[in-house]
Order: sequence, then structure tokens, then C-alpha cells
Amino acid sequence: MSSTSGDLSHHDEIRHHFDVLMAGLLQGMVRMGALVTENTRRAGEAMTENRLDLVKTVRKADAEVNSMYATLERQTFETLARQQPVASDLRFLVATTRILYELERSGDLAVNCVNVLERENGFPGSAALRSLVGKLVTEASALFARAIDALADMDEDAGPRLDAEDDAVDDTVSAFYTAIGRESTEIGLESAIELSRIGRYLERIADHGVNIGEHVTYIVTGEFPADLHPVLDDEDG
Amino acid sequence: MTTTRVADLSTTEVVRQSLAGRRVNVGAIAFQLGLLVTLLTSLLILVVLLGDIIVAALPTFRDRGLDFVTSPLSLSADSAGVLSGITGSLAITVVVALVAFPVGIGAAVYLEEYAPDNRLTRIIATNIRNLAGVPSIVYGLLGLAVFVRLVDLIGLGGDRGGRNVLAAGLTLAVLVLPIVIITSLEALRAVPNTIREAGVGVGATKWEVIRHHVLPSAAPGILTGAVLTLSRAFGETAPLFVIGVATGFFASADSAGIIDRLTGAYTALPVVVFSWTRQTDPLFLETLAPAAIVVLLVVLLTANAGAIILRNRFERQW
Amino acid sequence: MVSGSDVTGEMETPMETTDTAGPDTAGSAAASPAAAADAPATSAQTAAPAVFDVSGLTVFYGDFRAVADITLPVLENEITAFIGPSGCGKSTVLRCFNRMNDLIQSARVQGSVKYHGVDLYDEDVDPVEVRRRIGMVFQKPNPFPKSIYDNIAFGPKIAGFKGNMDDLVHESLQRAALWDEVKDKLKESAFALSGGQQQRLCIARAIATSPDVVLMDEPASALDPIATLRIEELMFELKADYTIIIVTHNMQQAARVSDRTAFFNVDIDETGQRTGRLVEFNETGTIFTNPSEKATEDYITGRFG
Repeated sequence: MSSTSGDLSHHDEIRHHFDVLMAGLLQGMVRMGALVTENTRRAGEAMTENRLDLVKTVRKADAEVNSMYATLERQTFETLARQQPVASDLRFLVATTRILYELERSGDLAVNCVNVLERENGFPGSAALRSLVGKLVTEASALFARAIDALADMDEDAGPRLDAEDDAVDDTVSAFYTAIGRESTEIGLESAIELSRIGRYLERIADHGVNIGEHVTYIVTGEFPADLHPVLDDEDG
Repeated sequence: MTTTRVADLSTTEVVRQSLAGRRVNVGAIAFQLGLLVTLLTSLLILVVLLGDIIVAALPTFRDRGLDFVTSPLSLSADSAGVLSGITGSLAITVVVALVAFPVGIGAAVYLEEYAPDNRLTRIIATNIRNLAGVPSIVYGLLGLAVFVRLVDLIGLGGDRGGRNVLAAGLTLAVLVLPIVIITSLEALRAVPNTIREAGVGVGATKWEVIRHHVLPSAAPGILTGAVLTLSRAFGETAPLFVIGVATGFFASADSAGIIDRLTGAYTALPVVVFSWTRQTDPLFLETLAPAAIVVLLVVLLTANAGAIILRNRFERQW
Repeated sequence: MVSGSDVTGEMETPMETTDTAGPDTAGSAAASPAAAADAPATSAQTAAPAVFDVSGLTVFYGDFRAVADITLPVLENEITAFIGPSGCGKSTVLRCFNRMNDLIQSARVQGSVKYHGVDLYDEDVDPVEVRRRIGMVFQKPNPFPKSIYDNIAFGPKIAGFKGNMDDLVHESLQRAALWDEVKDKLKESAFALSGGQQQRLCIARAIATSPDVVLMDEPASALDPIATLRIEELMFELKADYTIIIVTHNMQQAARVSDRTAFFNVDIDETGQRTGRLVEFNETGTIFTNPSEKATEDYITGRFG
């Protein structure tokens, strides 16, 4: 059984410098995750409260996420090159490159949501739809937040657990699509399509959260889960 | 060493001042001078001694030249030479070499390569070292009690009851044996163990490793030790007196064969020196004895030089 | 506990439980069944035959028990690495494979080291013959103080080689990737070569007696990095014809070069006696990406040693 369960800061001081580097990377990812979670909720508020003024704020917050991504990516590769990591250290660093990707994409997805809002000059759906979006945002961002917690704690079961919790999000998304379908004649085809995009984006944020959980499981156990979610659909908008 | 007034000086200056050393260290110089004086004193003593001898010996070589070296013993100072001494010493040395080297080197090889490292082995090695320090006269007594009788018993006693070069050689061989063993041991120890390991590693037996690698590698050391041992044997005097070296005049008949010479009366170069110092004719003491000493020294120096040359040749090969 | 002597190289990861020593050893009495289940079983069963089968190997120097209860196979035409902190006994175990421990008076060996099914410590086994078939390269290059040619020729000559010695020397030097550099100076002293060249000469010398196994005791630790990499490259080439066991304290070297890795560690019992034990033995890729034992993980990530 590997030694890293729940604790990346090894007690020995022999590779203190290396341990500090790794802890820094973990902290960076956790902070990035917190920013993304917050920004997702902010995008949700923009949509449910119909606040176009928040669009700029969401974009600005994501700029910070992107900049952190660049910095942490660079640090990860440098650490890989210079420290000759093996075993759990290696798994952590390789998984970090992947987690950083998931985080960065999730940030972009939140921006994509408010982009729709901007294009449609406000939320193009009924109050019912707005409340469904709110529910979806709450569930997706909560799952994502739990993924970041699992990352901070190096929780061994994160992958399977979050995978199971994602079912609830998928159900909400289905309900959202159904509701869109019902209102499609009132709101028009184009708006319906834009609204469905929002559904997709929020569903994807939850999926990225699940992926992060699975990467955490890999770091701790050294094993990939039996079946991986397909990470990449074709992205648009 | 001046203390720095940091406020006044720049960093460079501070560093420079702190690095500046004492000009004069009286203690160190005095010590060095003292050592030099001891060296010079030793050299001086040596030079004076040698000088004294050589100056005294010069007339003999001037007047008689090589004739001195090739003439046998004589009661007359004009015709006495060191030939008998040289041949006697050489004969003894040959016997010593023939006996002490195989036995000594063999014992060293056994001790170093084969003997297990236990208390008994260590006791034996220590005692061998102790034997090297035993006064040589003791070996003389041993020689008289054992080797003289032994030589006589086996029929090689000649007309002297065993008091001949054979017994002398055996006695001195036993005397130098501990030294041969010790110097060979040191030479064998100096061979790095990695060579033995390498030899064993490619599937050589212990003897093959010794024969092909250890002995050739230790050869320079063993050889040097051997030659120095022979020099020592050449110069040993005290034991010879005990076992009956001829201290006065004697002569072998011209027709005497090798066996007669080997089993008959003999003398050695140092003994010749001794006997000449006790002759009534003062010329023996004042001119001939120093000349004999010079011959002795020349022989020893040549032997040592030979040892160094041999060792260098062996070492240069690898 | 593995019962040795299966020639088809049963691959198990022996978790050395501390049943003989005290109970306070560093928690390595870990999930043996779990690890065996996780072990790459399929690759083990189709692996090469075992050249060596070590079973219950224990070595004493006088009263001091240097290593205890070592059990592992060494598979043919593979490079097996022994790693572990200093004092863990990896060199001691290595020297059991060619009976070099015989040179140490106080050494006592228990258990068996089977070479192609024959226990090397059987009474009728001649250690000299063993060393012709199982060659060794040492930590510090130790060529004989002879010519390059004679260095190589010595082993075969005393083994009774009657063929063309020039050809044998040529082939040995070629296989050791040294021929081109020394072909014009075969009669010169071996000491005229650089450190890396001397070590390759020692490799050539070891393979001159046509062994099928080459043991290497930290062969590159005295060499500069480039010379080290050349030796490693050479090992890859030699693997095709020889079985190689290498002891190394350089973990990256073990990771680069070996097919299988054995991790040894020091057990300290309640009397303070230090004994080396085998903690984990598995394919190198697995050891360095996902080892089963915490001690292994801690050692290879540099958290202790």
C-alpha cells in the first residue's frame, strides 16, 4: 500500500526542498480550484439574476486562473526534469499536469456561460428555466468543490465516489433539456440552442470535477479506474 | 596584526587587511633551523668518519692499487691483501642466499596467503619479528652448537671439524631469515587485495593467483629486501668469531680444490679488518685496515645500488 | 515464503515478514497476499527461465548475521538490479552467486543458491569452476598489472583454453566495446587506460572465460557520468548473451538499466543487530511507478536511505 494516502508532506527532511515544491504545486491547484468554483457560482448568479455587469468580473477572474495555469504547468515540468521523481512523486506530478488542464478548461467553461448571456443580452428563458439553471450551477459547482477538497486531502476514493455523485448532475441536466424543449417555441430556436449550450457547459464542469477525482485516486493507488469518462467532446463556443 | 577600523575602510580594504599574514614567525623558523642543524650534524659525523678512513687508506691504494684486492693474507704489510676476505665473504653470502631466500620467501608466502588469521598465526608472526632483534652473537652460539656439528656430521667438516664457510653460511642464513620473512611479508601485503580478488574472480586457484599476480607484483619489494639482507650478511662479524672464523693468518694450499676451500679454514672481510687492527706491525692498523674498510664499504654500496637498480627495472615494467 | 528451485522462474514478491526477528521492524510486514494478487502475474508466467534460484539464503560473518532468508529467482538474459541502503547486504548476496564469500574466513552460508538447478554450495561443487562460469566485475576497476592482452588471456589460459588466443582476446574486447580503442596497443600496460576503459577491460576479462552470467558490483560508481552511461549501454548489448546481476546504489541507474529490481533493507532487531532482508522484488517498471511496500517507496523517492 502506498504511503501517500492523505499526506503528501513526508515526515523526513531528506528531500525537504522537493517536498516544499510539491506542496506548493498542490496548494496552487487547490487555489485554482477554489477560484474556478467561485467563478462558476458567479456565472450562475449572473445567469439567474440576469446581471450582465458580472460578465466582465467572470472574465477577469478567469484570466487569473489562466495565468496560474501557465505558471504551475511550467513549475511542474521543471520539477519533473530536475528532481528525477519516481513512484508516488512521479504519479503526483504527471497527474498534476492533467489536473491543471481540467481546472483550466473548467474556468473557460464558466466564461462560456456568461458569453452566452452576453450574446443573448440577458437570460433568454423563463423563470422556471432560470431556477433550473440555478439548481444545475449549485450541483455542478458543489461537486467540483468536493473534487477540490478530495484533491487537498488526497482522498483515495475520490474517483469512484464523485463518479457516482455525477449521476445526480446528469439527471438535472436532462431535466433542463426537457424544460428547454417545452419552451422552445416561446423562446425561439436560436435561444434554445444557446440555453442548451449552457447545460452542456455546466455538465462538463461536473465531468471535469469527476476527472480530477479520478486523477487523485490514481495518485494514491497507482491504478487507473476501470472505465474512464470520455474527457473530450468536441468543444464549441 | 593590526585591528581593522571598519568604519574607516572599504570592504576590499577590510578583506585585504584580514588576509595579510604575519611577516615573521620566529618559532617556525627556529624549528626549521634546528632540524637543519641535526641533519648537518649527522652528515658531518658521517663525512668525518669516512674522510678519516679514506685519507688513511689512500696510501695503500696509491702504492699497491689493485694488487691489494687480489693478494691473499700475509704476515707482511707490503704484500697482505683482502682477497681471502672477499672470497670468504662471498662464499658465505652465497650460502646465505641459497638457504635463506627460498625458506624465507616461502614462509612469508605461507603466512600472508595461506595461514588463517587466528591467534596462533599472529603469535608466530610476532615472534618472527622478535627474532629479527636478537643480538647476532646469539646466533653465533646457535651456529656453534648446531651447524658446526651438523656440517661435521654429514662429512663436510673438512679438517676444521665443521668450522667452515658452510657452517658460517648456515648460521648467518638463520640470522637473516627473520628479516627476509618480514620484508617479503611487507612486500606481499603491499599488493592490493583487489588484484587477488580479480584473479580469483576469473577462476584462478589460490596458487595460480600467487604465482601469476601476487609474486610478480611483490617482486620489487622482495628483491630489494633480499639484496639488503645480503648486504647485512656480508657485514656480520660477531657470530663468525664464535663459530671459528680464522682471525689470524692462514693460507690455503695452491692446489686446494673447491671442496677443500669450502670445508677448510676461511675468513671474512670484516674479520680481516679486525685481525689487522691487532697486528703488531702498526702499518696494518694505520693503512691496511682502513683500506680494507674502504673495500668493504665499496662492496656494500655497490650491492645497495644494485638493489635500487633492480627494483626500478622491475617497477618500470608496469 | 517462496520455495525455490522451480526452474521456470516463479515470480513472487516475497514480503519478508519479521517472524524471526523482533516485532518492531519498520512495518514492512505488509499485504503479502494483496501484493501477490497485484503482481503482474501474466508477465511472470511467460518470463524467461531462471538461471538462479535462491532459497532461504542466510549469511553469517562469525556471529554477525549479515543477511537473512533471501529468496528470489534470477531470470535468463535479464538484468537484475539489487538496490538498498548501505549495510543492507546486497553485495554480500551478490558474492554468494560466485562463491566469492569463500574468501572471507569467517563467512558461513546457509540456504541454497541453485544455478541451473545445481546448488552452488554443494560439497562436490568446485568454486574455481563456478567462477569460470559466473564472472564478476568489481567496484573499482582492477586490471592485473600486465598488458591489456595478458589481462584478457589469463583466465582462459589457466582454464586450459587451447584455441586461438588472439581471436578470443579480439572477441572479448569487441563485446566489451573496447576493441577499437585498444587494438593498436594490446601489449601496453592496462594502467595506461582511463578509468572507464579499464572497467570495460575488466568486463572483457570477465567474459573471456565464456561465462553465462556476469555479476557487477557497483561497476560504474568510480566512473564519471559519460563513462557510466557507456557501461550501461554496454550492459544492454551484453544482455542478449549473458545474464547480468548488478548491485548499485544509484537508483536512477537501476531504473534505467534493469529488467527486474530487488530492494533490500536493513532490519534492526531488539538487540540492535542489523540484518539485511529482501523487501520487494518485481519488474523494474512496477517498482519505480507503483511499489507495493512503503519501505521501497520511501527509499526510491529518497525519503530515507
